[in-house]
Amino acid sequence: MTTTLETPKTKLPPSTHEFADIIHRLEAGEAMLPDSPENLMQIIGIYKAYAVPMDFYWRDLLYIAERVFLEPLPFFKYFLPKEYLDLHNHYAGDDADLRIWRGKATAHPELLEFMEKGEVKRKLPKLLHHWWHDRVNMEFAEECMRVMLWHRNMYVPVNRFDPYLDSEEYIANADRAIKAYFKHNPLMMGMYKLFPDMFIEQVRQMSYYSNLGLFWEVMAPVFFEMSDLYDEGKLTSVPEAMNFLVNGIFAIAGRPIYHHVYIRGECYEIIPKSKGFTWLYEAALPYVEAVFYRTSPFRGTKSYNAQAKQVPDDQKDFHYGILYADVFPVGTAGIPPTLLMQDMLHFLPPYLVDYYKQYCRGDDDVLIQLGISFQRSMYCVTSAVIQALRAALLYPLDDPNPKHLQANREFFESQLDRFKRPEARLRNIQDPDYR
Amino acid sequence: MADIVDIAVGAGSFQTLVAAVQAAGLVETLKSPGPFTVFAPNDDAFAKLPPGTVQTLVQNTPQLARILTFHVVPGKLMKADLEKVNSLTSVEGSTIPINTTDGFEVKNATVVAADIEADNGVIHVLDNVILMG
Repeated sequence: MTTTLETPKTKLPPSTHEFADIIHRLEAGEAMLPDSPENLMQIIGIYKAYAVPMDFYWRDLLYIAERVFLEPLPFFKYFLPKEYLDLHNHYAGDDADLRIWRGKATAHPELLEFMEKGEVKRKLPKLLHHWWHDRVNMEFAEECMRVMLWHRNMYVPVNRFDPYLDSEEYIANADRAIKAYFKHNPLMMGMYKLFPDMFIEQVRQMSYYSNLGLFWEVMAPVFFEMSDLYDEGKLTSVPEAMNFLVNGIFAIAGRPIYHHVYIRGECYEIIPKSKGFTWLYEAALPYVEAVFYRTSPFRGTKSYNAQAKQVPDDQKDFHYGILYADVFPVGTAGIPPTLLMQDMLHFLPPYLVDYYKQYCRGDDDVLIQLGISFQRSMYCVTSAVIQALRAALLYPLDDPNPKHLQANREFFESQLDRFKRPEARLRNIQDPDYR
Repeated sequence: MADIVDIAVGAGSFQTLVAAVQAAGLVETLKSPGPFTVFAPNDDAFAKLPPGTVQTLVQNTPQLARILTFHVVPGKLMKADLEKVNSLTSVEGSTIPINTTDGFEVKNATVVAADIEADNGVIHVLDNVILMG
């Protein structure tokens, strides 16, 4: 299960797969994204720009799951209280469970500055920043959460979180929390009596808020640390970046995924930690499947004709995630990845700002260029997931047994089969001029 | 004869496993009459995991217990018994593939010592920690 990747000594005959070159690269311990200083700069710069809004996303997702909960008119759910800005990340700071980032455990200073002054760089009342949309776009995070909820049953049976949401135990836990939450609200209690399933479904959604919040709580320090290592000259190639992610995936695999709700000072364990749900099986793998691969057709940018089979019959065949996205038409107001691009735009490192100015239409299409860098960076993350699964479930890349190497190859080939469809951007990211 | 836990403690090459079993509160269970078949990763197997992996699990005992119970199957199954099956259902609930056609492999691990008998079951020593999926 070593992650120090070496060229295998035992050789298989060359792959005949459409992406044989990329399969050979994976077999040599590299990523789907070619190794070049330019690619490394793009992906690391984007990880840093992603980690700052992600530091807001995970905090707010947990705030909504744990405190806002079933508030019927959640007008202020994006107004993060100080308590959650000061909440210690479990993987950063001096008191970390496992210190991944050497920085602070509380909210990132660039995030705090942006929350105060926004893009206009002026300290205005919070509501003005909010209405002007000069803020972190939580709508993106919520869309990711909804996609995870909507594409249910991913990785079942090893993913136990999703089936648990239908169990009697879960419904009883949710029922207790709902009754406590609306104890002094006879109208909502009456609604609950009339439409119990609707309320339980809302709690399921809240459980996915918690799931995604706990997932991203880990990813933010991972990306911050990668950015710092790059700045210090200690992360020098795309495979090194990928291996940092592979090691991170293993290190955090056992982190608990749970859903606690705090109602009038009392903690209701809707999904207790004791269920044994883990970051890898119950959050990371379903997240990658739902968000990177599947998602859903974006409304308003393109018409999809379901009768002409432009939308797959089966949800598992959906292919609207970032690995398939045509970033140009997607770069339109109100579309979730565009909201993320807008968020990342505020926190780009200077080297990436300079880089984007040199190409295409300079400042005018930075959003598109950074969207494509984001696509490259997510192909690197997906490579890490593929290598981590290979290491966890199959064999070392330098295994002397040819049968084991063949099993690894079949795994890599089956993974890359998903990028055979024309929408996949795997071919594009091989070309440095794709921007 | 000693039980599964005593054998693992006595062998000296299962220090990580023994510490994990203690942390997860599974000592009592593995000392009970069972019987159990335990696929026991040795210390070298745990050392192959990237840094932090065991630490996170030890901090979170229900999650640790889940990984450990994936290495346990009810009943006393000797190598000869395992030659007749393709897979087993672990105490954790997930399936463990068994391959005895070419050596003795349990999922992606190789059995480096088989049929270590205990009062309450049998131990087969693995060169890898096996994971669900």
